Amino acid sequence: MRHLSIYIPVQPEMPVLHHSCYSGPEGTCFEGGVFPAKLIFPPDYPLSPPKMQFTCEMFHPNIYADGRVCISILHAPGDDPMGYESSAERWSPVQSVEKILLSVVSMLAEPNDESGANVDAAKMWRDDRHEFNRIAERIVRKTLGLPPP
Amino acid sequence: MPVILLDRLPLPSLRAYTVISVVLLSCSVYYAVQVTSDPNWKVNSTTSGSNLEQNENESDESVLPPSANFHHNETVGYQLSQLVTFMIQEPLCIWTLINMAYCCLILLGKFIQRLVFGELRVSEQQHIKDKFWNFVFYKFIFVFGVINVQYMDEVVLWCSWFSVLGFLHLLAQLCKDRFEYLSFSPTTPGWSHIRLLGLLASILMLSGLMFLICVAVGFFGGLNTFAFMVAECIQLSVQTLHVILRYALHLYDMRHGGGSGGRVWEKRGPVAYYTELVFELTALLIDLIHHLHMLLWSNIFLSMASLVICMQLRFLCHEIQRRIKKHRNYLWVLNHMEQNYPMASAEELAENSDNCAICWEKMETARKLPCTHLFHNSCLQSWLEQDTSCPTCRMVLSIQSPAGLEASGRLEHNLLAGENQVDNQTTNRRPPNHFFHFDGSRYVSWLPSFSVEVTHTQLLRSDQPQPAQTSQLDAMARQVQQLFPHLALATVIEDLRVTRSVELTIENVLDGQVVAPPPMFQRDTDPPPPPLPELEYSPGLVEMAAPHWDDLSENHDPDSIEASINLGGRFSKSSTERERILQLRKEQLLLSARRRYIERHKSDAAQSCTTPDHERAEVRYRHADS
Repeated sequence: MRHLSIYIPVQPEMPVLHHSCYSGPEGTCFEGGVFPAKLIFPPDYPLSPPKMQFTCEMFHPNIYADGRVCISILHAPGDDPMGYESSAERWSPVQSVEKILLSVVSMLAEPNDESGANVDAAKMWRDDRHEFNRIAERIVRKTLGLPPP
Repeated sequence: MPVILLDRLPLPSLRAYTVISVVLLSCSVYYAVQVTSDPNWKVNSTTSGSNLEQNENESDESVLPPSANFHHNETVGYQLSQLVTFMIQEPLCIWTLINMAYCCLILLGKFIQRLVFGELRVSEQQHIKDKFWNFVFYKFIFVFGVINVQYMDEVVLWCSWFSVLGFLHLLAQLCKDRFEYLSFSPTTPGWSHIRLLGLLASILMLSGLMFLICVAVGFFGGLNTFAFMVAECIQLSVQTLHVILRYALHLYDMRHGGGSGGRVWEKRGPVAYYTELVFELTALLIDLIHHLHMLLWSNIFLSMASLVICMQLRFLCHEIQRRIKKHRNYLWVLNHMEQNYPMASAEELAENSDNCAICWEKMETARKLPCTHLFHNSCLQSWLEQDTSCPTCRMVLSIQSPAGLEASGRLEHNLLAGENQVDNQTTNRRPPNHFFHFDGSRYVSWLPSFSVEVTHTQLLRSDQPQPAQTSQLDAMARQVQQLFPHLALATVIEDLRVTRSVELTIENVLDGQVVAPPPMFQRDTDPPPPPLPELEYSPGLVEMAAPHWDDLSENHDPDSIEASINLGGRFSKSSTERERILQLRKEQLLLSARRRYIERHKSDAAQSCTTPDHERAEVRYRHADS
């Protein structure tokens, strides 16, 4: 991953809110995009996982329509919203922000269509990959401030 | 729902309300002055009054004539007292006075908010709003449902009592919210702590004063009234005291923790935990007793009010139960940790000269898990309350709390018993459906019978078993899934439960006995997905951006851009500078990403002419460049 760049500005006034920018991983449909996101840390971090939300438009099987990211590493060991993960892949207090970001990057590269945070996207990812790539491209161009193809 | 409705109500602004109140008050005062300027107003006003009052007035009149000569020389004090007596007797004036009192209360609240809190945060506003309407609702139920007041002056008295109480409650809630916020922010000026603590102390003092009022009222009004009022008072003081104690602990930590390099006070954990526990349980118990008292004492037993109180009671019982369960879990984990995991020796600590992986602070004492991972005592404990595995390697610790033992025992049993038990287990694990049944005819013949069933809808198919918590089964499932990524983990686990072997399950998959579950959402009935919003294409943006990157590519090669982006790596002390650097880096990131994207598409377009879409974009770009 030569061009993987992630920036996390920390807002000093709000210790529980980080902003990060994602660069879409190479060789995937989200390649080249810059996706702003925010990480919201709970008061009892690191015992509880932070929440992550993309602040730009996203179309991805594991991202809710409002931008919230649904990956197992961000789920507390107790709750199991989708009922499919083992506790071994969930949050643990030794996970770092870096690991979360890497997980999100790999999620962008390889969506997991089992956990349908966005069912439309999951279905399109499975059945109509061409259309999915087209939408991804449109979003990438939008985040870069370029006109649609 | 009513809150939403009330939000939409065009309530006047505070300024308008104050002006209206003041105008109303001055009108009524003017009216009162007009009336009382006539020395015989008392006779006029009470012509329709009761006999008793008339008698009183007659005696007044008998006093009045001798003093009539002095009437014009009367002191302002006498005039004023006349005015007040009139205004208290006149219903219209009384209402304006009450209105003015509320206005003053609101203004006082606003003033305190300005003085102590400054601008309220959104979450604080939301809390206050919720709490306010909740309070109003419950007190309404209390006054009209439980006490069942008959006379207007009783209502007014209760209302004024609850207004003051509610005011203090809201302030206490605000203090709590603000304290929680301040305790997480690193830099807070000292005087904001002092102001907040001052407010808390005055709330506490006022609640003491209200306790005295309770005693006085209870002396005349009877034990029940006393108990009702005192319960509220104690609730308020407990809440305030809790915040004050937490605050004290926090300030103590800051003062002592800051000096000695962030080392946590040895007994801090238990002390904080037990104060929390005691206060929470006290508050819940008092609330419970208060509600029980209301339920048992209320004048009408079968009413809407008692239903509401019952619901509240149920909630409170549940909360107390939850709290006690949590406490037992805490004790259990603590005990278990002390018995099974030794403190790491000094050599081990020296050898493993690492920070605690949970809080990233230096370890001076540590507990050692069987997997040789070291953690702070308190860090480990708070994690073990949530989950019983090593945070680093996820090794399942041999913690078997009573509940856990039961669950895993059941699972094992099912695994051994095989297919017959699978269905059974599935039903066990399905989220419980709540079923309420009310058979009215058992009480009174004409009461209806009804039942309500609350079912939990799931995203996944409801007959899908929940995942097994054993890592063994999971590991097996993962092996299978690596070979067949298209299968759902749950499907694989289901099959594994029956076969109990990876090989057999793989064979089953190859035979086609295990198939991926049908899509959970039937698309034919779904409406087509809404059209994605059109991208606002602004040519200005491109024109602005294009020369920019042109400029960049002329002056710097890509590596130098990378270097300049990485330059901001040092951590600046001033927050505004950090902000600025980050903003800069963000812009550069966007720029370089845009440049790279365009370059890639240029080369794509050059290689193949099969992508007319891109080409068109390129044309547009060249146009923008020139």
